[in-house]
Amino acid sequence: MIEHWRQRMSRAVGLRVAVWYAGVFIITSAAIGLIAYQLLAISLVRRDHDLLLVRLAEYAGTYERGGLPAVTQAINAERASGSRDSVMVRLVGGGAEVQFFSLPPAWRTYDIARLDGRRPYGDDWEQVQSTVDTTTLEVVSRSLWDGTILQVGRTTIERDQFLAQVRDLLGIMIVCVVVAGLAGGIALTRSALQPLRELRDTVRDITETGRLDARVAADGDGDLVDELGVVFNAMLTRIETLVGGMRDALDNVAHDLRTPIARLRARAEGALASARGDDPAARDALAACVEEADRVMALLTTMMDISEAETGTMRLSLSAVPVDEIVHDTIDLYEDTADERGIALSSTAAPDLVVRGDRQRLRQVLANLVDNALKFTDAGGRVTIGAEARGDEVVIAVEDTGRGIPPTDLPRIWDRLYRGDASHAQGLGLGLSLVRAIVTAHGGRAEVESEVGKGTRVMVTLPKSA
Amino acid sequence: MRILVVEDDPTLAEFVAKGLQEAGYVVDIAEDGRRGLDLAAANRPDLAVVDVMLPALDGLGLIEALRHRGLRFPVLILSAKRSIDDRVKGLEVGGDDYLTKPFAFAELLARVQALLRRSSSASSEPTRLQVADLEIDLLARRVTRGGQPIDLRPREFALLEYLARQAGRVVSKTMIQSRIWNYSFDPRTNVVDVLVHRLRERIDHDFSPKLLHTRRGMGYVLGVEPGGD
Repeated sequence: MIEHWRQRMSRAVGLRVAVWYAGVFIITSAAIGLIAYQLLAISLVRRDHDLLLVRLAEYAGTYERGGLPAVTQAINAERASGSRDSVMVRLVGGGAEVQFFSLPPAWRTYDIARLDGRRPYGDDWEQVQSTVDTTTLEVVSRSLWDGTILQVGRTTIERDQFLAQVRDLLGIMIVCVVVAGLAGGIALTRSALQPLRELRDTVRDITETGRLDARVAADGDGDLVDELGVVFNAMLTRIETLVGGMRDALDNVAHDLRTPIARLRARAEGALASARGDDPAARDALAACVEEADRVMALLTTMMDISEAETGTMRLSLSAVPVDEIVHDTIDLYEDTADERGIALSSTAAPDLVVRGDRQRLRQVLANLVDNALKFTDAGGRVTIGAEARGDEVVIAVEDTGRGIPPTDLPRIWDRLYRGDASHAQGLGLGLSLVRAIVTAHGGRAEVESEVGKGTRVMVTLPKSA
Repeated sequence: MRILVVEDDPTLAEFVAKGLQEAGYVVDIAEDGRRGLDLAAANRPDLAVVDVMLPALDGLGLIEALRHRGLRFPVLILSAKRSIDDRVKGLEVGGDDYLTKPFAFAELLARVQALLRRSSSASSEPTRLQVADLEIDLLARRVTRGGQPIDLRPREFALLEYLARQAGRVVSKTMIQSRIWNYSFDPRTNVVDVLVHRLRERIDHDFSPKLLHTRRGMGYVLGVEPGGD
């Protein structure tokens, strides 16, 4: 579950970086394309205008020198020779009468009447729309010395077609840029995140196996990720030292307590063995000493187990453990006890379930749960061990029809030395803490549901064996 | 049979030595590793009980030295450490069995006897066991008392067989638990008590004298006891 979430998280980071990269790349490329297009369009318009102004100046000169006949002659000569681009030329007199009008036949669709009745000031530009299509006739007008207006015009069809082609080309280019940007972004983030992914795998390996001697591979190229690896390795070394120190400290405490308890037990047992027929009260006291010594040892062992499991120093010999086997072992252990107390102990565990864990520790977990269940169930009740697969996990549940746990006590049952019912002095109150510690050390979890007067159900979830 | 006990704690050394002497063994005590090595070379014991933490030469070093000198008798290691590493290390250097402190004497004795049996390996497996008028046929898995057949469930039979093999000697709860169920940890409910109680119902309830006795603080013993409970 956690792993799945982690993977999604890292993918989300990768995706975000890729999208940002692609976005910036695409926007920049599009902006450059647009500016280039604008510059191109402006220079094309300027070239066309220059062309018309040249012709306008030429015809104005001709008119000045020879009047209308000279202009007519020059234009007819041009037309006949076909040596120059054809343009529209019109001369309008002071009284608005058209004195000369020459228009290439292909341009007859333009609404020339729109040019009438205007007195230009300097060079005056006019766009005339076609009546049948979207093309434009660009016309420049100039007042001559005698009040006659000279108008020269040219269609923009060539320029428009050329710009349309450029726009199509730009469109194709932008599509290519988007594709290249996204692909590049994904490839870039993949390769950039690769060392982080390795780091994550190492960390995951450590948390799953508890092998603290694992290290991140640092390639030594001194970049940020490499540095992170080095720092991380340094941290791991410190953790390893700490955990090792803690393990030693626990071992020493255990050792220092075991020796005097061993002495105490030996003295009491030795005295008991040689005290046959002596004062029964003295023998009782000696026997109690031995029993108490054993109890203290059991308590110490359990507390050590909990500490080791909680600090991650418990050595688990992991293997594939068939659930029905450990359930069967537990029933075997408690069958007679349950029978004696008039409680029906049975299993509803599904067959063929296999978990990954330490067989001895898992047997201990189940034994503790069944022990508790039997303790809090009255004669005539039932204790059932169930097991079922849930996704890639196995849930083992121990359910009883006992007295149940009040809701206020539920969160505290996992605490050390908590005892729901003070009258049960037998239990050391560590059973459930140990269960949870061992299960957590296995990468699983322990949960409880209970209803007062109806019973309790403790569930242990463990990873399925691959 | 001669047994060497190497233990620096006088209380424990005396406790172990006394128990072994009562069981019929000749016992030498050494309080440090070096002295243990000398005594082993001089007396050639049949078995040694060696503590791990010892002055002068520690237990593991002693075992290595013994094996180096060609002394091959079995060694039972005693240790106050319980981690598996120590156990593995002890067995690796040439120890034969491992017992964690604190321990019941019955368990130590059982292990000593098992090691001695293993090293002589002469005794043939019996097919019948008898304690007073209680007879156990190990092959047919039948039990009779005074000629009267007794029905036992497999677990009860296993316990009776175990007790009968150690007849007259105390067997601790821990020994029974690991023998019958192969559980090494402490189940808080006394499952051994329950099983012993059931076995007693079958073999002792309708008969006299009582054979299965509880020794408080020590364990259980099968046999006829003049002043037993």
